[in-house]
Amino acid sequence: MADDVSYDWAPDACAIAGIGTTEYTKASGVSVTALAAEASLAAIRDAGLEPGDIDGFVRSDYDETSPAALADSLGITDVGYWGQTGAGGAAPCAMVGQAVAAVRSGLAKNVVVYRALNGRSGRRLGKGVAATGAVGGNSTYLELFSPWGMTSPGQFFAMITRRHMQQFGLTERTLAEIAMVCRRRANANPAALMHDRTMSLDDYFAARMISSPLRLFDFCLENDGAAAVVVTSTPRARDLAQKPVLIRSVAQSTGTTRIGPGQMYPVLMSDSLTELPSRRIAERLYQRAGLTAADVDVAQLYDCFTITLFLQLADYGFCSQEDAAAFVESGALDLGGAIPVNTAGGQLSESYIHGMNHVIEGVRQIRGTSTGQVEGAEVSLVTSAPPPGSSALLLVAP
Amino acid sequence: MSAAETGVGIEPVTDDPDTGGFFAAAREGRLVAQECVGCGNLQQPPRHRCVACLSTDLAWHDLPPRGTVHTWTVVEHQINPNFPAPYTVLLVDVEDAASNVPLRFLGRIPGRVEPELGAAVELVFETVGDAVLPNWRLA
Repeated sequence: MADDVSYDWAPDACAIAGIGTTEYTKASGVSVTALAAEASLAAIRDAGLEPGDIDGFVRSDYDETSPAALADSLGITDVGYWGQTGAGGAAPCAMVGQAVAAVRSGLAKNVVVYRALNGRSGRRLGKGVAATGAVGGNSTYLELFSPWGMTSPGQFFAMITRRHMQQFGLTERTLAEIAMVCRRRANANPAALMHDRTMSLDDYFAARMISSPLRLFDFCLENDGAAAVVVTSTPRARDLAQKPVLIRSVAQSTGTTRIGPGQMYPVLMSDSLTELPSRRIAERLYQRAGLTAADVDVAQLYDCFTITLFLQLADYGFCSQEDAAAFVESGALDLGGAIPVNTAGGQLSESYIHGMNHVIEGVRQIRGTSTGQVEGAEVSLVTSAPPPGSSALLLVAP
Repeated sequence: MSAAETGVGIEPVTDDPDTGGFFAAAREGRLVAQECVGCGNLQQPPRHRCVACLSTDLAWHDLPPRGTVHTWTVVEHQINPNFPAPYTVLLVDVEDAASNVPLRFLGRIPGRVEPELGAAVELVFETVGDAVLPNWRLA
């Protein structure tokens, strides 16, 4: 039944029929377009399709390749639909949503959703603002931040972390637990960049402070690679090669308080640094799905930093803000815990594909093919980056 | 001498139509927030119209030269070559009778300053190249 946030959303109308990734490396040695093509081709073939079956693409606004270049490199002509959304890591779940919109509205049949980056050998997002010339202007609002040394996302999230510590009792030990849980999942995943490197509590605290209170292992990886999925209608997906993974719901929100101008840093000037749009996204997502947090078997929570993952636990209904630290330290995020998270290692320990690798892992959980498989997983949550506006996805078994 | 020549600091664009007034006021030794002439709302950061009543009739309102620390981070790992680590970035709340929420501003202090949240700070001004930045020191 439609209500104020469900609109006429149709649960399970579309499915993810194929998934593909490249190898994750520190130096791919190839172009971003080559990475996008490799992951897309893998996803297309995984679905049992041929490149010529693809008639739509959705990209991230941060991507350095275009649907036209990607289609050309795969020999695809007459692309009938292309779209993009953002910003950056806030995009992947919304990108899947945009593919659903294209398929449901009849603009496209089989849509490739992709993210590719040379995030280590090419443009490193963690480097932040360039150092030459006057910075900001043109609605970027960087002029109100960079000149005071606020130049990189880690510094932004460090500010939020300190505030949460004061308000709700978050400790460094809690953040360490998040880093270690993700690392344990990566240690079981041969594709993860941190597959061979275990992490103890001593290792976490011995690592250098980057922007207090955040240490090295509170930060995600920087690497090269790509990930792609094929979205199509559920009836079509049932005739393809894989068990379809149904898209139960998608939601986006800029949150119920003022979003602020610019892209991210002006969030620091909002009334509360600890209230994120993910709370509203969760409401919308669960209402469209007809599900609650209690129904979710496994979650891939966006983790550009440990704190980013932490902040979403309460918003997606797994615990309260006040109890979140104790919830994490109880082992809730581990396999066998209340809500196993980032079962391939996440961006902290598997790969940083700006959250697109979370979509891939969310699909694997429903297929039953994860290296950190939650037995019998039927409802799989995937989130993209808060703040300022963000998106999330609920995947279910057919 | 520009920030590029001294190698320290980053200069802001100071002639943006929405935020330029903040830097123009700083050159006069004033800390300001944007004020709506129509409804009196104070807003920070500045915008092209009042977010409360959507008026484009906006002015600049002088704020008191003191605030409190909302949160902070010590940047230990140097990322930007123009900011030698360690340094402390502050978020500062400034209370004003004309606003029912604090207005928030950035601050930077060289070295490791580890203030209590809520600690008092006072306004100072610093020159970076051609720009003047409102900044803060512990009171």
